[in-house]
Amino acid sequence: METYNTDDIIYALATGWNQSALAIIRISGKDCLKALSACFSRPKSLLNAKNATLLHGFIVGENNHKIDEVVLSVNREGHGYTKEEAVEITTHGSLAVITEIMNLLSKNGMRQAKGGEFTLRAFLNGAMDLTQAEAVHELVTSQSQMERGLALGRLEGALHNKIEEIKQDLLLAMAVIEVQLDYAEDEVEDFDFPKEQIDNALHAITALSNTYESGRLYSQGVKIVLAGSTNAGKSSLFNLLLKQKRAIVSDIQGTTRDYIEAQTVIRGIPVRLYDTAGLRTSSDVIENEGIKRTKELLDICDVIIYLVDGVDENTVVDRSIIDDPKTILVYTKRDIKHRKEAISISTITGEGMDHLFDAILEKTASGISISDDSTLVIESSRQHKLLEEAREGLTTAIELNAIDMGLDIIAHEITTAITALGGLTGEITSDDVLDKVFGGFCVGK
Amino acid sequence: MDYDVIVIGGGHAGIEACLATSRIGFKTLLVTQNIDAIGRLSCNPAIGGLAKGNIVREVDALGGEMAHLIDDTMIQYRILNRRRGPAVQSPRAQADKFAYHMRAKHTLELQSNLELFMDTVVDLMIDHDKNIIQGVITERGHKISSKTVVLTTGTFMEGKIFIGQYDAPCGRLGEVAAIGLGTALRNHGFKLGRMKTGTPARVRRSSIDFSELEEQPGDDPMMPFSFDYETVNRPSIPCYITWTNEKTHAVIKKHMHLSPLYGGKIVGKGPRYCPSIEDKVVRFPDRNRHQIFIEPEGAESEEMYLNGLSSSLPEFVQNEFMRTMKGLENVEVMRPAYAVEYDYMDPLQLLPSLETIKISGLFIAGQTNGTSGYEEAACQGLLAGINAAQKLKGEDSIVLSRAESYTGVLIDDLVTKGTKEPYRMFTSRAEYRLNMRHDSCDQRLTEIGHKVGLQRDEKLERLKDKLSQIESVKDLLRHHSYNQKNAFQALKMPEVEIDEMMTKIPKLSNYSEPIRYQTQLDVKYEGYIKKQDKEVQRFASLESIRIADDFDYDSVSGMSTEGKEKCKQIRPRSIGQAGRISGLRTTDVAVLMVHVKKWRSKE
Repeated sequence: METYNTDDIIYALATGWNQSALAIIRISGKDCLKALSACFSRPKSLLNAKNATLLHGFIVGENNHKIDEVVLSVNREGHGYTKEEAVEITTHGSLAVITEIMNLLSKNGMRQAKGGEFTLRAFLNGAMDLTQAEAVHELVTSQSQMERGLALGRLEGALHNKIEEIKQDLLLAMAVIEVQLDYAEDEVEDFDFPKEQIDNALHAITALSNTYESGRLYSQGVKIVLAGSTNAGKSSLFNLLLKQKRAIVSDIQGTTRDYIEAQTVIRGIPVRLYDTAGLRTSSDVIENEGIKRTKELLDICDVIIYLVDGVDENTVVDRSIIDDPKTILVYTKRDIKHRKEAISISTITGEGMDHLFDAILEKTASGISISDDSTLVIESSRQHKLLEEAREGLTTAIELNAIDMGLDIIAHEITTAITALGGLTGEITSDDVLDKVFGGFCVGK
Repeated sequence: MDYDVIVIGGGHAGIEACLATSRIGFKTLLVTQNIDAIGRLSCNPAIGGLAKGNIVREVDALGGEMAHLIDDTMIQYRILNRRRGPAVQSPRAQADKFAYHMRAKHTLELQSNLELFMDTVVDLMIDHDKNIIQGVITERGHKISSKTVVLTTGTFMEGKIFIGQYDAPCGRLGEVAAIGLGTALRNHGFKLGRMKTGTPARVRRSSIDFSELEEQPGDDPMMPFSFDYETVNRPSIPCYITWTNEKTHAVIKKHMHLSPLYGGKIVGKGPRYCPSIEDKVVRFPDRNRHQIFIEPEGAESEEMYLNGLSSSLPEFVQNEFMRTMKGLENVEVMRPAYAVEYDYMDPLQLLPSLETIKISGLFIAGQTNGTSGYEEAACQGLLAGINAAQKLKGEDSIVLSRAESYTGVLIDDLVTKGTKEPYRMFTSRAEYRLNMRHDSCDQRLTEIGHKVGLQRDEKLERLKDKLSQIESVKDLLRHHSYNQKNAFQALKMPEVEIDEMMTKIPKLSNYSEPIRYQTQLDVKYEGYIKKQDKEVQRFASLESIRIADDFDYDSVSGMSTEGKEKCKQIRPRSIGQAGRISGLRTTDVAVLMVHVKKWRSKE
């Protein structure tokens, strides 16, 4: 059964999953202030904060990279919604920022709450009226139904069957291994490590897990960066892409970032478009900082459109960007000169834009391996996390087998994977494995 | 009151139970049907095996006797699964079953506070108003009173053996069943069921042609199961291997209709993991041969045990199919194979202390609880004895964790989930088996044995010394290099063995082989153990939320009626255990958790 852990730190986005001015991320659990202080610009103030106080500062990622300016509201144990030590982070409502902060929290030992978990903790800690136990029951029941809804919401029909199928295959592979562990070497037949079955399962899990990327692209948007020197026509293209689609959701001039960010839709895919002013050559210290940030952006984005002035034959190009597999090389000013060696566009006449859109679509699709059945898409991050756990377990198992590690350890890794899949479709008990063992092998003296 | 404790039955559970209570200091009586059958190895002449060998060493670490008995009477020793990884390795020894029984009987005879008495218990004396045990009534009419009773009747309660169409009321071939007790227990309101097991033929050594058979020698040197000493000095006698063939299978198929199993005479459920030869032939028709081990029953006996050939077919069929096999062409059968069906108590009627929920002071252990195997019986007997003593002392019962021992897994499985077939321990039943290596049982359990009064202070000292030696070896490794690496890190490589480092780091030879071996495993497994420790901690936190013995489930509004009934039936000791009850809903567990916390704060 699924049990409720109440001894760890959980977090969840309390506001809606959409672009908005502000968003709130709620964190609860013993020592959560300490955990959060590792990624807050004023750790001491946070650790010493009294109950019901507000703190202003920055959420800071790796290498002291400031992710966003935030306000924290602190609740000490015994207060607040859950009566646990708790913090609410009020941040800007960009999906990118929210995602980055939540990833950072996970890295710092916190975990994403399951649906209803904050409420459950509130119950358990007596923060809510428990005298009416019948009402509690109803609430807990409905909470857990919500939780099931969240956990299994997408796990109907084809997807459920697919995971169940992988799990059953893995169980068989596990039985092959367990029979070796539960019986002495002279009691069982010679044994080949079920590498092929595990490889197949790993492949299927990977394909499924990767659909989360495509799911994410559709819900959060593809990150496209326009790069190139200043006179290449980036801004023209930027404006064209926004105007043409008339789908500007917001147009935020980055305060701490040296690029312009906007949202639009290309061929039905939501896109976050970044105009990198930062690639302008400059000896200015601030500009250099901007260049650094642009480089970081180039690392995390999905597609780079690298614009080169189609007329100026002497433009110096940055080979490291052009050689990046996610880069689309585009010559501008086609109305003046049509370069045939790559995509060539005119932001004035619109010529070549279709080619560019095709290329964008191709790039976004090629970076994502779509699973065999393209209707199977993982959408929740919880599902994705479980699949990734399964993937890690199987990958490790295969690696360990390659270096002749003991089967007991390898079995532990495969069990981890099966347990993770169990989290998606229902749990597996050791009895299930033994059933396979007894059913499939002639064992015992 | 005549006694503090009465133990019924002198098998492997009964031996541990009566030794534990008498050694802790309680006046104990062992009532057995046959004093000449104490500690008999009714089936295979071997102790240990995968997971089972760990149990023997757990029993030893807690202060039980089984390891001493086998160490003194083994006639072959092997570590199984050396190549599969240390967490699933386990020792097994062939036993001289005659010597084993004599050694067990003599140990009981020498024990102070313990009396042995030959009679058959036919009923229990129970104060039904207070639901308290008061003693036992025997076949010869003795009424013997006691504060607690440990019932360990094995396969004898309403036992019935089958050979083809022949059947007889026996617990073992030639030994009468305990008739009446099962019925009496039913009358007292206990739920009993039937189970089935079987044993192969014993044949005459001189009638076997060994010249063509594969010999299976034991390990050299032989190692003890007990942590109390470091060597054993016993003879090593080989086993042999032969195979069934298509002719064997043809004989079996031809006479299948004569099997009491297929004819429906036996209703009890048999173990899937230890099928009879006719079962194997039916279930695996594609296999044209099955392996049979020929094992000596004792150093001074001509009887040989045909491991893998258990059967309940008629004797003439047994003779015919055995003689189709290589080496057995002229085999002489001394005792035929047979099946036995017996009463078992549904173990869901037990608390995790092995005390019955219904009758205070009545403990049940061993095969009676639906398990199979000497080792599984012994560890239950020991815990039942320990907990009878804890009760007499007025102290909290001892429940071993699933994360620290196979014994803990076994008892938790039995009392939480019950069992539908004879329950045998497997390593895969344990969630945290990486932590449950046989060589480190003493580290997990000696202190508990000491706490309950079974292990003397010097055993704790010995353990401390062992741990400090292991630390010294680790330090030694940290301060030397090997293969251009720090030796500690180098040992993490799967192919590197600590013993090959001895030429480069001569000081290693100052430490005994077991110390070096255990250090090696600690180092190699460090990362994985740490990873598993996190899971264990999470597990332990739910286990630590105790549910009071007198917790009133009816007062829990908000829990489903079905959930309440399940909990009232099983009486989980902790929220963790409640979570393992089959079919209990998560929401019920959550509501229960809220109320358990409220209940505790009220008290």
